[in-house]
Amino acid sequence: MTIHRPLPAGQVGRSVPRLEARRKVTGRAEYVHNLVVPGMLHTKVVRSTVPHGRILSIDTAAAEALEGVYRVVTADDIRTVVPDPWYGPAFHDQPVLAIDKVRHVGEPVVAVLAEDPYVAAEAAQLVVVEYEPMEPVFDEIEAMTSTAVVHEVLKPAGTFPDLKHLVGRRDTNVALDYRLRRGDVDAAFAAADRVFEHEFKTQQVMHTPLEPMVSLAEPGDDALTIHTASQSPSFVRIEIARLLGWPENRVRVKVPYLGGGFGAKLYIKLEALVACLALLTRRPVKWSLTMEEQFYTITKHASTFRIASAVKDGHVTGRRCEVFWNGGAYADIGPRVTQKSGFTAPGPYDIDNVAIDSYALYTNRPPAGALRGFGIPQLVWAYESHTDLIARGLGVDPVAFRRRNILREGRPQATGTVLRDAAIEGVLDDIARRMDWDKPFDRGSGTTQRGRGIAVGFKASIAPTTSVAIVNVAADGSANLYLSTVDMGQGSDTAMAQIVAETLALRTEDVKVVHPDTDVTPYDMATLGSRSTFHAGNAVKLAAEHARDQIEALAKSLGLPPGSNYGPADLFKKKYGMQAGNIIGVGTYIPDYKSPAPETGLSDNVTPFWMVGGTGVEIEVDTETGHVRILRMVNACDVGRPLNPKIVETQISGAALMQLGFTMFENMDLDGGQVTNASLADYKIPGMHDVPDEIESLITEAEQHSGPYGAKGVGESATFGVSPAIANAIHDAVGIRLTALPLSPEAVFRALREAEGNTGTDAK
Amino acid sequence: MRGFELVHPGSLAEAIALLDTDDDRVRPFSGGTALMLMMKTGVFRPSRLVHLGRIGAAHAAIAAGPNGGLRIGAMATLTAVEHSADVIRVAPVIAGAMKRLANVRVRNVACVGGNLAHGDPHMDLPPVLAALGGRVAIAGPQGTREVAVEHLFSGYYETVLGRGELITEVELPSQRGWTSAYLKCTTRSADDWPALGVAVSLRRAGGVIAEARLVVSAATEKLTRLAGAEAALVGAAADGTAFARAADAAVAEVELVEDARGSADYKAQLLRVHLKRALAQAVNDGAVS
Repeated sequence: MTIHRPLPAGQVGRSVPRLEARRKVTGRAEYVHNLVVPGMLHTKVVRSTVPHGRILSIDTAAAEALEGVYRVVTADDIRTVVPDPWYGPAFHDQPVLAIDKVRHVGEPVVAVLAEDPYVAAEAAQLVVVEYEPMEPVFDEIEAMTSTAVVHEVLKPAGTFPDLKHLVGRRDTNVALDYRLRRGDVDAAFAAADRVFEHEFKTQQVMHTPLEPMVSLAEPGDDALTIHTASQSPSFVRIEIARLLGWPENRVRVKVPYLGGGFGAKLYIKLEALVACLALLTRRPVKWSLTMEEQFYTITKHASTFRIASAVKDGHVTGRRCEVFWNGGAYADIGPRVTQKSGFTAPGPYDIDNVAIDSYALYTNRPPAGALRGFGIPQLVWAYESHTDLIARGLGVDPVAFRRRNILREGRPQATGTVLRDAAIEGVLDDIARRMDWDKPFDRGSGTTQRGRGIAVGFKASIAPTTSVAIVNVAADGSANLYLSTVDMGQGSDTAMAQIVAETLALRTEDVKVVHPDTDVTPYDMATLGSRSTFHAGNAVKLAAEHARDQIEALAKSLGLPPGSNYGPADLFKKKYGMQAGNIIGVGTYIPDYKSPAPETGLSDNVTPFWMVGGTGVEIEVDTETGHVRILRMVNACDVGRPLNPKIVETQISGAALMQLGFTMFENMDLDGGQVTNASLADYKIPGMHDVPDEIESLITEAEQHSGPYGAKGVGESATFGVSPAIANAIHDAVGIRLTALPLSPEAVFRALREAEGNTGTDAK
Repeated sequence: MRGFELVHPGSLAEAIALLDTDDDRVRPFSGGTALMLMMKTGVFRPSRLVHLGRIGAAHAAIAAGPNGGLRIGAMATLTAVEHSADVIRVAPVIAGAMKRLANVRVRNVACVGGNLAHGDPHMDLPPVLAALGGRVAIAGPQGTREVAVEHLFSGYYETVLGRGELITEVELPSQRGWTSAYLKCTTRSADDWPALGVAVSLRRAGGVIAEARLVVSAATEKLTRLAGAEAALVGAAADGTAFARAADAAVAEVELVEDARGSADYKAQLLRVHLKRALAQAVNDGAVS
């Protein structure tokens, strides 16, 4: 770990305890879940029981007759307030309530309203919906060619120029096909000494925020206020205003703390329905999901990745990548995952000839969106398993093989964008050194076999996106920061306050962060994709500098020489004769960016910064049962200069443990499109006993020169390497290769038996 | 879920009278840890819950008997069992099993009687008590009776408890000379319901195994005693050969259930491996004196 030199004010680089910690542990922090407003109704939705079907009839009579039911609402009612009730960030493909047909089990069809949430829940059970079943498609590969078509026509939102070519495309499940061509791939394969080809799969999993999604809409006089557990208040305001045909300033979106987000609470989730219901009833309406309902709301893409490499003289000279993303019934942000993640599919290696085809597919599963890594963990799982297999195939040490092929500073990545400020080799070196990779390793004995594995990955930031911040210096010199970045547990309030404090030479603890309220706080694209530290952080720094410049100008206008020891409070008093006035600093940040060319997928400026993360593990395999125990896990990330080392370390360990669950056991069991384990009793996430015996979080020495005080994002980076590092270690321990997640004990056991030539597991 | 009646009987007789009904939406409620989950998910919608809190203290005693046995009141919490000096001395295998049974919050309120009466085959305590030769005392409208724990379960979430009947106590016979072990195995997170539970109890005499009680749970529809495997052990020396023979017999005699935690084939392998390991551990730990 690197000790950076402290900055002048001593605020950046200090492990400031989280500003909200005391409020949270004493139960005083605000959550939408606890919000009650006078006259509030609760809604419960009736959800589709079929994966794909035409709605023949909806009978709400029995539900309406139940005592205490206020109203029962269908899509026809929704259309009286929103004539075209289709929403979504990439495609306007999702109806507020199902119209004519349903596309996945669990899709909202009818909303029941009552003052008592239990009455609403009971009434929801009394609604009878009749469907004519339609042929479903669940698998992403089958969806490429299936006769079952989830959406008859594609309806991309106007927001993204690179989706325009999809407008009006019919009878296809391919929501987006991203293509990259660089060099001469065919020639590289023709000239290769060896060609390696593999297919890897990942399963559908869920974010499992412990605070389930919740939104509350209050109708006002020609206005609407939405209290919501959202990662993207600015987007919610814009999208609700678009649906209603209102100006933005009549929609107010307020976000307090979140009990976890991980990408689940992005764009619009519950807000469209509560907005419509509040306008229909003229009463406040609250919608709180259960844990079970979250499984039908947003998930992580299942995927299939076919990867092939041409190797000559020990170097990877060509790589073909075909990635199929199972987006479920609604696009959500899937097409962006397909493109933004797609172009890093060849991995952090210096490969001259690359072909990538990345497909976003509609299926009749619950929708998939962004989940901590935005598709990157699925890609790294494949390319780092593949890279390990190549090294083993060539008889080269896996770390040495990576070093030989790694993408170094100043070299072009697959898109043609030159790598800057990306410590890929530094991360690899830190892990290898920490694990004593070059020293002998105890390989176990008998039924306990030990192995170790390593993997590194990288990610481009979503671009171009905008953040705006306002710093308000009061007459006593204290400061408020107005920002629409959402603190969902990652510590952004503290980090942003540190930037203000460093710039204005205050104590971080004396900076107050005003939470998102779109009537008050300025625009921020969203809290996603590890973008906030860099984008919002730069905007905050600009705002603080703007305020500082005005303070200096004020001093000058008062005839004070530069460097005089008058503080802001003295200046205000001198200027206004009493404690009065404000100084408002404003900062807006949007990085430079060049969209990939449609034909080649190439761009010389595809991202404002790179995230780099890697993992090394030492594991033990029980060869009789297939159980894998992780003895040691080392995670290293390039986070630029850490603003708050302690928070960075917890982001690294938190991300790695979340990915550990996706690697070892988390899995949505689907039967005919229905999730059969949609509860915390049956869908298991890691607990304290699943934490590896030893876990280390390393901050690799680095600086992001364009970042605020040299920093960049960290929320996702430690997810990248976890899955392939463990699969590589299993291979190292017992010589078997798993190509599908999760790496369950049974999967390991079956592979072991197969390797022994005994395919039957147990003769009874 | 809407309203229901919550009643607090002041005596065992009153509780039994309140439960003596045809309405299957009437249930006793002690710790409530299992029932609340069923109520939250809508699997169970009570019309009346008979809360046993007021009569709990009278049925929560844990006491070692004069001859190496043990009595545990049905309303004893799992935490009380876990930390009871008598339990640790007479049947240390019970206290050991508690460490990975649910979590401390559940153990603080869940009670022994409910743990058995719930009939869930994934519970840890029933196979342990069955292997120790435990019996439950039952009180009901027709009086009292006793049933061996191994015969308490009639199917998946089903028991032989009749209308209005409550478990009042668990009684263990003398454990002197017996050595026991419980192993469970999860295949997803560490705190998942077990894919398999194996409880073993052995008594050795004259260099051979004189008696054996082996019980499998979680992988089977209900807790199941492994008679064939026991027969393979009795009269044999307590060594790897005998254990392997018992493991083969066990796999041959039970029907294993496939679920999200593993296929039946895989669970057969888990049973084979864990039965051998449990036997070795029991022998290694040595007998209770």
